[in-house]
Amino acid sequence: MTYGEHFNQVIALTAANVKSRYRKTFAGFIWVVLNPIMMFGAQSLAFKTFLKIQVPNFYIFLLGGLLPWIFIIQTIDMTVSMLQGSGQILKSFKLHPLTLLWSQVLDNLVNFLFAFLILLIALFFGEAEVTRFIVLLPVGVLILIWGVSSMCWYLSILQIFYKDVRYVVQFVTSMMFFLTPIFYPASYIPEQYRYLVNFNPFYALIEPIRATIYNPSEEQITWAFTRGIICCLVFSFLAILNWRTKKNDFYLQI
Amino acid sequence: MTSISKSNILAEVKNLNLDFTLRQYHSDSLRDVFIGAIKNPIKLLLRNDEKLEALKNINLKVEKGERVALIGKNGAGKTSLCRCLAEMYVPTSGDVNVHEDTRSIFDSSVGILPELTGRENANLLARFMYPKLSKSELENLVREALEFSELRNFIDTPYKYYSNGMQTRLTLSLISAYPCELLILDEIFDGADQFFRNKVSKRVLEMIEKSGAVIFVSHSTENVRIACNRVVVLNKGEIIFDGNVDEGIKVYESLDPEGSF
Repeated sequence: MTYGEHFNQVIALTAANVKSRYRKTFAGFIWVVLNPIMMFGAQSLAFKTFLKIQVPNFYIFLLGGLLPWIFIIQTIDMTVSMLQGSGQILKSFKLHPLTLLWSQVLDNLVNFLFAFLILLIALFFGEAEVTRFIVLLPVGVLILIWGVSSMCWYLSILQIFYKDVRYVVQFVTSMMFFLTPIFYPASYIPEQYRYLVNFNPFYALIEPIRATIYNPSEEQITWAFTRGIICCLVFSFLAILNWRTKKNDFYLQI
Repeated sequence: MTSISKSNILAEVKNLNLDFTLRQYHSDSLRDVFIGAIKNPIKLLLRNDEKLEALKNINLKVEKGERVALIGKNGAGKTSLCRCLAEMYVPTSGDVNVHEDTRSIFDSSVGILPELTGRENANLLARFMYPKLSKSELENLVREALEFSELRNFIDTPYKYYSNGMQTRLTLSLISAYPCELLILDEIFDGADQFFRNKVSKRVLEMIEKSGAVIFVSHSTENVRIACNRVVVLNKGEIIFDGNVDEGIKVYESLDPEGSF
């Protein structure tokens, strides 16, 4: 099967998923777009107004970190046990599990982009400054999609063999929310620990987007993109290795 | 695994062995692995993984016009062999070559999204089963398959309300709607009623006449007699007979009922 045919299958499944979910109510779609916007509002209030975090252009800073974070967490949460729940389909005929996974990533991506662009446009009318680096935003989004897909691919296969992966991931991500510079800048981390942020995969995937819209500079973007791509390569390698070595056992156990 | 394209041989299996690792069954949670690693890390590192030999030294060649029945008791390796041919399993050793135009189905009651109607599920299934067909070809195929299924008013009912028999009708109508070089059918007629089974068997036979070959897994010797012209009997992962239908069925019926795995 060619990549084009595979892509067509992903698009067809995503469209069917959306149709299935929002057939009876359009409010469902409004809700999934409003959800991250409301989260953005609540965190802006908590961190900027109540805790008085001193970050210039805080709203655009938070947007660049929080919305990609929500996309990552929601996608991981929805896909980790997805293959386990799709055993009948996957065993019935030859369908690559990635088709199911990518369709879910794409579904979440549409929601994320809607919410992100609504807020971004609103902020550009307000405090934020549009720079030439904005053209690199799609590259940042591509890095995010690549990294999240690889992470989900790895974790969803692992879930087939270890039934508590989902719960471990939920625990880890709830901790990582505080350890990842999402609502505070990396410069807040004491210097002796700051190098650790380079090993944080969530930060590596979030930063390429934030770097293009918040105080962008060539050096910052180069470093963010490089780190993001390295993170994607590592997770892709792990995911492919995991699939190749466990493919037979995957079909046996699913 | 490679594919055969311009030859009368549609599938060729040479010295195929397939093992499964039983390691995962020892602990099925990360918590257990973590506790095991703390209690006895050396044991965890030096553990011997058990192997389950699903297929042993399989050699098989399927040519154009052949309708091969794979028969054997539960656990004999029939589905494992079909999954190797469908490129779902990776052989532990040996070679599997199949024609690139191969279609396989292992369960006839499959719906992708139960909330969607039978028609919508049929559109999606057709997209997955026939990725190379154009949009208009797929539309025609689905329309014809839905007519053949005789589901009538139920076609626009959500798939989740379908009985097992109705689900089977829909899937079988789709799988038999378009010829292919090699068709692999694993116990798929079991959910259909006698009337529809005869109807779809006739259509599958017509489809085979038009094109390639079929590999057909069934426990029903009656179906095998109707649909096949060659029988391969598998027992404990090995081929113990390959040839004439009547003789093959005799070998199958003489298998020891106690020694299944």
